[in-house]
Amino acid sequence: MSPMKLCVPGDRLCSKEDCMPGTGVYLRHGYIYSSLAGYILRKNEGEELPVISVVRDTEAQLLPDVGAIVTCKVTSINSRFAKVHILYVGSTPLKDRFRGTIRKEDVRATEKDRVETYKSFRPGDIVLAKVISLGDVQSNYLLTTAENELGVVVAHSEAGAQMVPISWCEMQCPRTHAKEFRKVARVQPEYLHT
Amino acid sequence: MAGLELLSDQGYRLDGRKATELRKVQARMGVFAQADGSAYIEQGNTKALAVVYGPHEVRGSRSRTLNDRAVINCQYSMATFSTSERKRRPHGDRKSTEMSLHLKQTFEAAVLTNLYPRSQIDIYVKILQSDGGNYSAGVNAATLAVIDAGIPLRDYVCACTAGFVDETPLTDLCHAEESGGGTSLAMALLPRGGHIALLQMDARLHQDHLETLMEAAMTACKSISKVLDQVVRQHLQEVSALTGE
Repeated sequence: MSPMKLCVPGDRLCSKEDCMPGTGVYLRHGYIYSSLAGYILRKNEGEELPVISVVRDTEAQLLPDVGAIVTCKVTSINSRFAKVHILYVGSTPLKDRFRGTIRKEDVRATEKDRVETYKSFRPGDIVLAKVISLGDVQSNYLLTTAENELGVVVAHSEAGAQMVPISWCEMQCPRTHAKEFRKVARVQPEYLHT
Repeated sequence: MAGLELLSDQGYRLDGRKATELRKVQARMGVFAQADGSAYIEQGNTKALAVVYGPHEVRGSRSRTLNDRAVINCQYSMATFSTSERKRRPHGDRKSTEMSLHLKQTFEAAVLTNLYPRSQIDIYVKILQSDGGNYSAGVNAATLAVIDAGIPLRDYVCACTAGFVDETPLTDLCHAEESGGGTSLAMALLPRGGHIALLQMDARLHQDHLETLMEAAMTACKSISKVLDQVVRQHLQEVSALTGE
């Protein structure tokens, strides 16, 4: 790989006609300037203009964005919603926890009004969810699990053992063989380690 | 005229500098591992430490959350041992609150806050030794800390003070020159475009001299920006050498 060039905030990289702006840069008066201290990366996309971005060794804090798949931990449940702490955005861990809410209507796609949150999540479950809204001043991030691939991935039974999913709405404890209700995520086969 | 001559006949100041000569600047980035970004700067005898946390969820009063951009929360404080007499009240006094507000305004102009809606960026500046130019050292240290944290900036923010004695502009004032009762102008500049982020002045100045004084302060800020630039590039090279890129 050819040695990448260093740049600092405020460096003018190129004009808008030569490249498309990527991450770590900003556009001003038709020129692209760097906004981070790091290395310049130019990626060729094909017939379109190359994308220019500035990368650092340590990834800067990523914020959950609308449409992102996040991994969160349920902290409390209520008849109307479940409160969660967002731990990972995609596969990047967050240094600090953000708070989110999964409303009763957003737990699953069908029969939204007949959902019981107690039968979908419990405190301590790890849930895969998608961000639908950043929320307004009062509320937190709004999340949804209304898809087949979203929902509970790791849950512990009342006996304390990690449960195994049986169907989309049930999990079983390997020790006591008791079944508990959860809204289970159908994890893609390539993500399962054996 | 009192005993202390701020500018001698040969053009030397109290500490032996020429009129527009800056003090020696030494800086280091990444001094703390636990913070997202940190930096330490020494400008002559003034020592300042800046620590940046963020962006993270808005803590404390949720009503401060802004929907389209990040909130910048600054706190400026001086260590009790920073001045010649032990400081009774390092936080919460009027000067610290005013400086905190100035820092906040300065960085709101430079940080690209619209990339982080509904979050908060904390900048804490602590002055360890105060010998004039506290605000400037604080701003310079905070710039390096923000760069170290990886938060996008429009440009560096460099600050410097300037004064006016005997029809000559002096730059980078030390404590004796600041408290001498003469004019003291503090300017925070984004050097590439020449945009002024903050301009503050104490005492009186005749309006004919304002132009000269601002020119001198701008030149000084640009010199400081060259030094900060070198520090950032060196730090980047050190970090990449360690990670083996």
